[in-house]
Amino acid sequence: MRPGSFRLAGLFLLIGVLAAIAALSLTVGSRPVPFATVWAALTGADSGSTDAMIIWTLRLPRTLIGLTVGAALGLSGALLQGATRNPLADPSILGIHAGASVSIVTGITLFGITSAGVYIWLALAGAGLAMLLVYAIASIGREGPTPIKLALAGAAITAALMSVVSAVLLTSPVTLDQLRFWQVGSLAGRDLAVLTALAPFFALGTILALGLGRVLDGLSMGDDVARGLGQHTGRGRAMAALAAVLLAGAATAAAGPIAFVGLTVPHIARAITGPSYRWILPYSMLLAPMLLLGSDIVGRIVAPPGEVQVGIVTAVIGAPFFIALIRRRKLAEL
Amino acid sequence: MLTRIALSLAALALSLDAAMAQPWTYTDGTGQTITLDTMPERIVASADAAAGLIPLGIRPVGIYADSPIAESKPLQGLDLTGIEIVGQAWGEIDIEKVAALQPDIVIAEYWPLDAGWSGGEAISGPDSPLRALAPITGPAQGESILTLIHDYETLAESLGADLGAPDVVADRAAFETALEDFKAAVAAKPDLSVLAVWAGSDALYVAATAGAAELMDFAGWGLNLITPEVADDRGYWETLSWENADKYQPDLVIVDNRSPATLETAQAQPTWPTIKAVAAGAVADWPAFWLRNYRSYAEALDELTAAIETADEHLVD
Amino acid sequence: MNTAMHSTRQLLQRRLIIRCTLLGAILFIAFCLAMMLGDYPVAPADLLASLLSPLTGQRNPGIDFIVLNVRLPRAILAILSGAAFALSGAIFQALLRNPLASPDIIGISQGASAAAVFCIIILNWSGLLLGFGALGGGLATALAIYLLAWRDGVSPYRIVLIGIAVAAILSAVISYLFTRARISEVQQALGWLVGSLNAASYSQLWPLAAALCLLVPMGIFLARPLKALELGDDMARALGTRVELAHLGLIVVAVALSAFATAAAGPVAFVAFMSAPITKRIMGTGRHHFGAVMLVGAALMTAADLLAQHALPEMQLPVGVVTGLLGAIFLLWLLVTASRTGRI
Repeated sequence: MRPGSFRLAGLFLLIGVLAAIAALSLTVGSRPVPFATVWAALTGADSGSTDAMIIWTLRLPRTLIGLTVGAALGLSGALLQGATRNPLADPSILGIHAGASVSIVTGITLFGITSAGVYIWLALAGAGLAMLLVYAIASIGREGPTPIKLALAGAAITAALMSVVSAVLLTSPVTLDQLRFWQVGSLAGRDLAVLTALAPFFALGTILALGLGRVLDGLSMGDDVARGLGQHTGRGRAMAALAAVLLAGAATAAAGPIAFVGLTVPHIARAITGPSYRWILPYSMLLAPMLLLGSDIVGRIVAPPGEVQVGIVTAVIGAPFFIALIRRRKLAEL
Repeated sequence: MLTRIALSLAALALSLDAAMAQPWTYTDGTGQTITLDTMPERIVASADAAAGLIPLGIRPVGIYADSPIAESKPLQGLDLTGIEIVGQAWGEIDIEKVAALQPDIVIAEYWPLDAGWSGGEAISGPDSPLRALAPITGPAQGESILTLIHDYETLAESLGADLGAPDVVADRAAFETALEDFKAAVAAKPDLSVLAVWAGSDALYVAATAGAAELMDFAGWGLNLITPEVADDRGYWETLSWENADKYQPDLVIVDNRSPATLETAQAQPTWPTIKAVAAGAVADWPAFWLRNYRSYAEALDELTAAIETADEHLVD
Repeated sequence: MNTAMHSTRQLLQRRLIIRCTLLGAILFIAFCLAMMLGDYPVAPADLLASLLSPLTGQRNPGIDFIVLNVRLPRAILAILSGAAFALSGAIFQALLRNPLASPDIIGISQGASAAAVFCIIILNWSGLLLGFGALGGGLATALAIYLLAWRDGVSPYRIVLIGIAVAAILSAVISYLFTRARISEVQQALGWLVGSLNAASYSQLWPLAAALCLLVPMGIFLARPLKALELGDDMARALGTRVELAHLGLIVVAVALSAFATAAAGPVAFVAFMSAPITKRIMGTGRHHFGAVMLVGAALMTAADLLAQHALPEMQLPVGVVTGLLGAIFLLWLLVTASRTGRI
């Protein structure tokens, strides 16, 4: 079997698994709803009961948001890792989450903004600016943005921005009370309006991303080789960064800061498909929602009748993976 | 005749003077007795304590709060002119401003759950500079707001307040009336069940009666408050995901009113109306943790009474 | 030839001494300003009288309280914690050969913070006990990072990257604890997390002062082989230095310094991060100047606290906010002025 068709078949398999997980997400929750009821609710046979309402107004938006946000995080992680040749790139490490937090907090306290619709634009703007800053700082010096410099610059910018956030929150307990839940990252409590508002960003980012496979493959061979092959490395990198910010910024705006998904999924994808970004990108796009929804489902059942937010679960799952990853990689590659 | 009056007036004046010159003692919420040479006049108070003392006629010279004064629920509606605000964030106090006020005493509340006084360690811990300026004392948060208000009355009186002043008497009378109306409304609907909640975007939190002093008061006056089964946070809340919002079905829901965002958050949840009381419009305010004086208590009770009177006690059987 | 080298060295020495003295003078000025400024402006003569009053017995209760109970412990705390953070950062950055690596970024600080938040929210600790909790957390985290990074030895790259991962994990832990606590506890924890010198008292100072007396000499002693380490581990081994032992000893000193300072003042951001690069630029040479670094750190902290107290008319900021903003400005300044050939 030629590798291409093997990987193509794998894609279809993944789509199937993802559909199964989505179905699981509709069925499982902190409230036990029998499968027959779920089916009846979805097909419209049962439309009045509380269970049916929960399926339509809570679980369905949550599943759809989980799918979209997951895909966005997976894609943006793969884009960042490819564009920066840094196996440790991830939206949270590059300051995107801190940027979104700062702009949301500023919006709430300085301008009294309370509508979720406006949060989204704030989060996007903040995320973009923060990542620009991180990239710029990491680029100082002869070697350009090496992985370590990016990681450190991201951590430094995150620390600076979060101290501003803390200062603002200290002066307003009311804002603190609401924001401490957003900070953790969650798929609950969002309705479909969030998705519709952000849809253009997700769509644009995804289209851009999926078209950049060949460019990223070129970049991964090194700038000189890529230029030799006729690529504009600067432009390619900028496009990748743009797509990554669109996707990660929109994802953070929708669900709050969720760490580790963008980091770990591209590595899993690479382990399956090999080093070509033309395959890593679509695989990441399918694997990440599996991880995210899977974590969300786990969060729904471990603490009844309450839930554990998905951001906590992904941190618990993703962090050991991250550490194992660092321990395994040969230093030369960094 | 005139001489007699003059003599008695003189005697009165002398005895008042003597009273003023006597040492002032007070047994505070932790059971410790504090003694000062004279009755303290310059008082710095926490926002809670100020809310308790000001309506009784004792005006502190400085107040420290744990949030901006405009957001401070206990102080709402009170006239704070002439009082220096020396802190508007948790744990932050401008000690130099306080020193400039030359306080004789600091009055705060003791929170047994935190084993500390209002404002946290930085302000009222054993090593804090505030303690070096003036002793910290006051009543303790207990299991009843009414008892707390009585404690404030005792404290105020020892500080020279006239509890017979017309304002104070009027406030107390208004409260007594409101309480009678409340008890009557509750007694008239023996089947009425009530749920006290706080709403976050992630979960609905159901309050345990034992966790809030005003809820204990309401229960003591006959209100049937639903107690949650599972208890987080040392037994004071049950966390329900919004899917399980309908776990408890009361006839009336009361929502923590410290911030308007709470009710808005709840109303944005599609499963909020699965609580039948909400669908029926039986939602009222729960004055959570911030009542400190007769005036605000009377207002809160009146609102609750109105809600109870319009609620259907057989909504959920 | 010899005399030429000798006089160049003398020139360098003299320049270093002058610059150190300048730093000392800046610190002294900052200290005096911290003692004199405030709602109660204290004139220099009164300040001197107050400071000497335990000896002379001449007391002025109002001013003495402000000077001796409020401003002096705060100023001393600023100086000691600033020096400790700065030295810790300098050692880390030298060992890990990267000016962006510092304990407040690679997880030590977050370890102390997570432990403190846990102690505040779950265990209800405060005061000195809380300080020890934070200390324990910082040390435990450093140990964990070291062990996780160990793989036939420890390399700076791995320590930095694992530290960042651990920092991310601990941030998640802190966020989780925040969602499980009452709002008053969250406020208390957040207040601690931002780092503040408010309500400084002498009881906080003794542990920190004792730690500094012990750790600073240890650090200077262990740093003597550092020059060799700078050349790279292989060269250092060839030159006979016990690389692992020196690494270990210095890391312990740096972590302990950071942890003690955090226990006393909270995790004040960026002082550890900024001090060594600033010192290098002031002193002009590439060598490590641990003495000067401590002066810079102390001056930075004192100046930041001055700003925090007096910059806004109505409000006092916690010092951690000012250092956070300064850190951000510092990063931007690096961006604008760093020489292209400079290593970062």
